[in-house]
Amino acid sequence: MVFPLPTLAEPQHFSLAERVLFAALAVASVALFWRRFGPILRNILRSKQDADFHLFPAGKRIRDFAGEVLLQGKVIRQRPLAGFAHALVFWAFCAFALVSLNHCAALYGLGFLNPAGAVGRFYFYFAAVFALGCAVGIAGLFIRRFFVRPKWLGEELSWESGLIALLIFVLMASYLGAFFVPAASPAARILWWTHAITLLAFLPVIPQTKHLHLIFSPFTVFLSRGSFSRIPPLVGDEDFGLVAGRDLTRIVSLQAYSCVECGRCTEHCPANNTGKLLNPKEIVLGLRGYLNELGPASEVPLLGKHIAQQAAFQCTTCGACEFQCPVGIEHVPIIVGLRRGAVNTGAWDDEHGAKLFLALERGSNALGLGAAERDKFIEKNALPIFDGTQEYCLWLGCMGSHDPRGREIVLALVRVMHYLGTSFGVLRKERCTGDAVRRLGNDLLFQQLAEANLEALAQNKVTKMLSICPHCVRTIQEDWKEYGAPPAIEHHSEFLARHLAQLPRGGNQEQIVFHDPCYLGRYRGVYDEPRAVASRAGLLVEAPRHRERSFCCGAGGGLAFLGEEQGERVSHARAAELAATGAETVAAACPFCNSMFRDALAARGEGAPQLLDIAQLAARGLPEQGN
Amino acid sequence: MSGVLVILEDRGGRISRLSWEAAAAARILGAQRGVTAAVVGAQTEALAAEACGQGFARVVRVEHALLAPYTADGFALALEQLIRAESPDYVVFPHSYQVRDYAPALACRFGQVLISDVVAIGEGPVFTRQLMQGRFNASYRHTASGPCFVSVQAGAFRAEPADLPAAAPESFAPALDAAQIRTRPGEPFRSSAQTVDLAAAQRIVSIGRGIREAANIPLVEELARALDAELAASRPICDSGWLPIERQVGSSGHTVSPRLYVAVGISGAIQHLVGMKGSQCIVAINKDPDAPIFEVADYGIAGDLFEVVPALIAAVKAGKA
Amino acid sequence: MKIIVAIKQVPERDAPVRIDPAGTWIEESSLQFALNESDAYALEEALQLKEKHGGEVAVVSAGPERVGSTIREALAKGADRAVHILCDDLHSRDALGVARLLAAAIKPEQPDLVLSGLQSEDLGLGQTGVIVAELLGLPHATLILNVEKTETGVKVKRELEEGWFQSVELPLPAALSIQSGGNKLRYATLMGIKRAKTKEVRILTAAELGADSAPVVRMERIALPTKQKSTQMLDGSPKEAAAALLEKLKFEARVL
Repeated sequence: MVFPLPTLAEPQHFSLAERVLFAALAVASVALFWRRFGPILRNILRSKQDADFHLFPAGKRIRDFAGEVLLQGKVIRQRPLAGFAHALVFWAFCAFALVSLNHCAALYGLGFLNPAGAVGRFYFYFAAVFALGCAVGIAGLFIRRFFVRPKWLGEELSWESGLIALLIFVLMASYLGAFFVPAASPAARILWWTHAITLLAFLPVIPQTKHLHLIFSPFTVFLSRGSFSRIPPLVGDEDFGLVAGRDLTRIVSLQAYSCVECGRCTEHCPANNTGKLLNPKEIVLGLRGYLNELGPASEVPLLGKHIAQQAAFQCTTCGACEFQCPVGIEHVPIIVGLRRGAVNTGAWDDEHGAKLFLALERGSNALGLGAAERDKFIEKNALPIFDGTQEYCLWLGCMGSHDPRGREIVLALVRVMHYLGTSFGVLRKERCTGDAVRRLGNDLLFQQLAEANLEALAQNKVTKMLSICPHCVRTIQEDWKEYGAPPAIEHHSEFLARHLAQLPRGGNQEQIVFHDPCYLGRYRGVYDEPRAVASRAGLLVEAPRHRERSFCCGAGGGLAFLGEEQGERVSHARAAELAATGAETVAAACPFCNSMFRDALAARGEGAPQLLDIAQLAARGLPEQGN
Repeated sequence: MSGVLVILEDRGGRISRLSWEAAAAARILGAQRGVTAAVVGAQTEALAAEACGQGFARVVRVEHALLAPYTADGFALALEQLIRAESPDYVVFPHSYQVRDYAPALACRFGQVLISDVVAIGEGPVFTRQLMQGRFNASYRHTASGPCFVSVQAGAFRAEPADLPAAAPESFAPALDAAQIRTRPGEPFRSSAQTVDLAAAQRIVSIGRGIREAANIPLVEELARALDAELAASRPICDSGWLPIERQVGSSGHTVSPRLYVAVGISGAIQHLVGMKGSQCIVAINKDPDAPIFEVADYGIAGDLFEVVPALIAAVKAGKA
Repeated sequence: MKIIVAIKQVPERDAPVRIDPAGTWIEESSLQFALNESDAYALEEALQLKEKHGGEVAVVSAGPERVGSTIREALAKGADRAVHILCDDLHSRDALGVARLLAAAIKPEQPDLVLSGLQSEDLGLGQTGVIVAELLGLPHATLILNVEKTETGVKVKRELEEGWFQSVELPLPAALSIQSGGNKLRYATLMGIKRAKTKEVRILTAAELGADSAPVVRMERIALPTKQKSTQMLDGSPKEAAAALLEKLKFEARVL
């Protein structure tokens, strides 16, 4: 005897009344949907065009789309359990698109998937597997949200999420239920209508809630700015950054409506984690609230009721938020955009910020120190001056020129370069690269600094540069592009890793924990090179948060130059994490991280690990110079 | 006459130290012809008495009721009349805040320019003054006829008190009218009773991590008191709550530029250096002879602060006694 | 209130300044220039007065074409218009010569208040503002940290030595030399610089102003000072070192 496979029960005949009723309900559902969705779409489309947006080359877009949307890569990678549950729901939705279409079409006798036919049968079973996964997934997510309640989902329970979960569960249950009832039974009809009404109820709920991401996030991921933390150029004489609604671009508005409020950005934000006002999620939701209330043509300042200015200036631009975001929101350009709007119009009034800007208006470095001090350092250590014959122009940066620790790092690198026989020279005069003012939103100063530096480098015929500072590297390589063609530059970790075979092996058992600087890791994608250098000097151990998920030192985004922090210090939080690994040495690869950890580790008192840059680790094993 | 006139300035009822330095400079210019000293005010008897016996050829009391309190209008008018009466070759001033206020206008009335802030006088005479915040020296020459106006920088000329027989002072009564004095000066005051005003402090003693524990702070406090200085600290000290945050010097605290900055047990992190590099004279006391603070210091003592500071307190107290 | 601020462009504070081959001036070709610091405070005081009491702020500056960038910066920070006295020989004029240029340009404006910085960072003469006041016949006060408008004129806070201050009342019109540090400077903004493009900059020449005169004081040579600042380490026992330090502080640095 052949065991009869249960098949999807579909009512065979629908009455005219049923057909009319469904049509009416469908029209009402779409109308309700559009009443909310229409204005949102209009807000996005009426936002300013993104002047620097290029669809092509689309390779990266397609890869990101496949990885982040279709395969749910980001969602799963960070929160594997919840992420997988979400992926199950997502994949079921994809599989269900045909089923739902067929479901409605069947009412009018236009069903194209025949439960009796091989294709239809296969597809219904195929969808049923997904439906089963989805039902389990959504039930899990429901339990997590309403019973486990992780803190980044917010204090308040979201009734919307509950409703949505219920609707999804009913959709799946009513679909699966139809496999177990006879085809002509009233139960089949009840299930059909339950499924249909749930479907029609679901549609208007989407634009009312964060489930708008169902519609928008695939577009948001595909239509990103193209590279990590990319700050768009200002266009024309009236563009000062994100001042008011009229400055919001389509990408920004699309991203604001895409936020799914998962709180990954908040969870990883160093400012939020140390008791500051800034919450990247609230920035995005603030934009959404602004758009809903005032629209994209408004002249009302963005910083005010919806977003606090103070919050915007607490960001270290570490990029953890943007890196984590599963729906493709680019937080750093938004936050920097808001800062630009405040600084370029003079609305930001901060004592330390003004001091930084004035120091750079009137001098060449962010620390407000004299160039003579740099000259003395160069002279005392007999650093060669770049004259066009050497291979590298060694860019000292403000920390390498003036900070006692930064100078030690430069000198360690110089020892290695001498040992390797690599020719290099330093410029007679450098100006600040403008990293801090760029991220703080002072475009006037940034342009002046970038142009003056580009001119000096061109005059000196520099083609290859090397720097100990990931901030200098990023700013020179990426941000200066707006004003010219910078020479190629690399970070010393890349240089050292390339020449590692020629350097003596450290070979001891010292445990070394490497701290990934944000501007080297997330911004530049360099993770392995500094680790290779550190591994050669001792035993590499990892902090709980490392590589892509490294936690900021607190110095980025110009914050090293601003005043006292609110709440706990970011640097202290990170230093505690690094010290807790039990490593004897903390290896850094950025002079700003170094200066932040120096104080933070010292504050931990006796027994704190020593702090060394990877250049110092590399130089440690070199024979003493005999002169 | 032809000769050199030096203007001596009243400071709290006595002639200021800087005035004696100006007198020393005047003697270089007036070696042959002698130096006339002028004291200016409403009551100049005591000042004149102090000036007499200091080797001046003459001492002139420029006295008028309208010359107290000081006004630029009053002083310029009175001295204009004196200079027209005396026609000296040189008029020498101490480069004080008061002189900066009226001397340029006074020189202008003679179609002259004050050669200000002179640090040396050479043959010719050639006057040396600093340019570019002290990075260069420039030599100046007076090329016109008429009196040459010169003010001298503090500390550039050595004042040598003399004890010579006193000549009787002369009196000069300028013609002044109250209507000619257009400004109305108020009484001098110090800034309102703030607990601490590091930015305005003339002397600062600052402590760093070398102090080791809060219990050691009174030692350095005593040094600050002995030097009549404000107590300040680097960030780790304020972070630890050992001193209030308003005493923090550095990038996240105050930027200070006192005449004297004594850094005790401060290694010299960049965040600290940016807050105090503008100090006129920096003294560093630190165990580590390679500490970066010595790079910016004028004077350094590489030693244990717990030995050096008590020695310094004793020396300061001995100097006062 | 109509306020004129006299400003000067000077080499950037940490610019690598070198003496020219003739030894009579500095090499200007590779230098970056900026607004003189105390002039920035004078401008700030003027802008704050305007913001409080209304009126107009105009800046006047003498110097070669490059001075235009500093004038634009002043306009960007909020000055309403500018007068540029075009002259290439600024450093060879003495303070009186420069003040005559400025006074000639300011006089027809009939301002209520003429502000200048206390002294320039390059020459450091500290006189121009006072001489301009004298040439215009205005009452003046120097080392001013704060200006308040009163019914009859202005009341200013004047810095005295050793931490003392004094209030001085002056009738208007008057001239004031502003000391650095009395208020908080504003930074230049992109919006300001764009708005500045449409503001008036009147160009005058020294010849038009008829203010040429032979200098009465001439700067002959520039040289590096013989003694550069270096750290003196004081050795010996703590007692010896302390005694040596005190001696140095008293008689060499003269800060005690």
